[in-house]
This record gives sequence, C-alpha cells and structure tokens, in this order.
Amino acid sequence: MAAAFASRCSRVGRSLSGGLSNSSPGLFTSSHGMTCNNLFSQQQRTFIQMRTVLKVVDNSGAKKVMCIQALKGKKGARLGDTIIASVKEAHPNGKVKKGKVVYGVVVRAAMQKGRCDGSEVKFDDNAVVLVDKQGQPIGTRVFGPVPHELRQKKHVKILTLAGHIA
Amino acid sequence: MRLEKCWFCSSTVYPGHGIQFVRNDAKIFRFCRSKCHKNFKMKRNPRKVKWTKAYRRVHGKDMTQDSTFEFERKRNRPERYDRNLAENVLKAIPKIDKIRVTREERHHKNRMKGKKEKLLKEAVKELEQGISLVKAPSVLQQDPSLTLPKIKVKVSQQQSEENHAMEE
Repeated sequence: MAAAFASRCSRVGRSLSGGLSNSSPGLFTSSHGMTCNNLFSQQQRTFIQMRTVLKVVDNSGAKKVMCIQALKGKKGARLGDTIIASVKEAHPNGKVKKGKVVYGVVVRAAMQKGRCDGSEVKFDDNAVVLVDKQGQPIGTRVFGPVPHELRQKKHVKILTLAGHIA
Repeated sequence: MRLEKCWFCSSTVYPGHGIQFVRNDAKIFRFCRSKCHKNFKMKRNPRKVKWTKAYRRVHGKDMTQDSTFEFERKRNRPERYDRNLAENVLKAIPKIDKIRVTREERHHKNRMKGKKEKLLKEAVKELEQGISLVKAPSVLQQDPSLTLPKIKVKVSQQQSEENHAMEE
C-alpha cells in the first residue's frame, strides 16, 4: 500500500516536472530522484484557516481542535491570533467535551511570522491554548515553548503559565 | 543588540536578518539565510558540508583552540555596567581581532608548508611521463641531453637470477 502510494507520488512529480521541462527547456530541471517524503517535508506552510486541525497544549481536556473561524485577517490566523474552534478529540474527564465550540489563542504556528526586530520565527507545529470569551485560559498549565509576542496581544496569563518563552 | 551565530554555518547573524526555528523541546535554531535553513530542512550535517565552519574545524583547516575564542563566548549572566570597563573592552576588541587574524594566517601558512614541494614533484613527474608531447621521440634519440637524467637503481644479483629463472 505504502509502496504504491510512494510510486504514485513520484510518478505525479515526474509528470509535472517533465511537462514543465518539455514546454520550456533550460528553465526547469526535473528531479526524478526526489522521494515522496522529501516532497512533504518541503511543503509550503500556510495560514490557520477553516478546517485546520490544531494541537491543544494545555490541560483543559481537549486534545485536538479544528478551526472553524479565524477572528482576524482576511486569509486566516497566524501566531498570536484568536480563533474559534470545535473540539475533535478530548480526554474523557476534562473540562471541555468533544463537539464543544471554544475560543483558542494560537501559541505555535508552522508558518513563519516577522518579529519587530526584522527576523522571523516559526515553530514545529500548529498549537492552541483554549481561552474563554474574556481571553482567560481555561487550563492551568501550558506545555512547550510559546513566543514572547503574546505579551503584545495581552495574553500575559499564558506567558506566566508557559514553561519556555521563545 | 546581540549578534547571534548561525546554527548551520556558524556565521554572524545581525539583527533583522535570517530566520529562527523553535523546536518543540524549546531548542532554538537560528539561520543566517535561506541556504542554511534549506540545508537544515534537508537534514544535512554541517560537519559533512564542506563550506561550513564546523567542517573546517573538524578537518583541521581552521583553528580550533585559541585564547582569542574565549572572548567571543556567549555569556548569559548580565554584566553590571561600568564605564571604564566598557571603554577598555572597546579598545581591546581591535587588538584581539588583529591577534586572531595573525594567528589564523600563521596556522594557514603551517598547513600549506609542504604544498610547494609536492606540486613541484608532481610537475616533474608529469614532465617525465609526457616528455614525448613536448619533444618528438626522434629528436630525443639524436640529443639525449634533452631528456631528464635517469636515476640508476642497483638491482641485487639474487633478484636478477630469479627473473632469469622465471623467463625460462
């Protein structure tokens, strides 16, 4: 199954690059040796938009949430933005249950975000901390690193709960 | 203003440059440019990529141990501001730089010491092998002084007897 999928991926890549190289020789170089794994690792990271599944990094009881609305920006949410999400996976005896609609603050995003000093920061995955309508976190602990930009967004409580501030 | 080091190539990252990647174990990787970032994403080892500082240090091309490197070490403990100390430090920086440059030059000179003789030997060997390309064989037969002097090697009697036996 996996082998068939890999071969299919490589075939797709080959046909695409082959088509391009035939139409304009010298502009593109087709890389037949590119594996499927490499193709996925180099994919473009983008905004957190509708149907993006995010990891919950607090002890509110939810494990995975799916974004149903980004509350800021035309394209989608980024690092530090607030979203509305639906709980897709939850612990059996947590504060929030599966199917509940919650607010969340994006504390880690795979898409890079420019900092005030001109550099850019990006994280390993997309993660949220669940908050209420007032912006206070539901959980009492935050796991993993969070960016210091949350201070500008007035989420100081999340920063105090976090173990590492990047 | 803090000048960071690129994780991949160890070059200086000035403020406003490069990209910073934070792994889930809170380890921060700073890259000076997209070249280094892409190499990191391709899971390349900087010790095996020839243009990086790590490779040059591992393979003895750059200095590894020197007292001037101690001044450049990252210190996480903040220093209490002292005007005289700051003035002395600013005066010392160019001197230390100059010392490091001269030591690096000396290191390079020592590393390249036997290179000239080696190149000369190789050139002579090449000339010996391809002398027919420079001078025609007929000319060489007429004037043997044009050829390079041949080194005579004494062969023991025992070895010549063995060769004779093998021929038979």
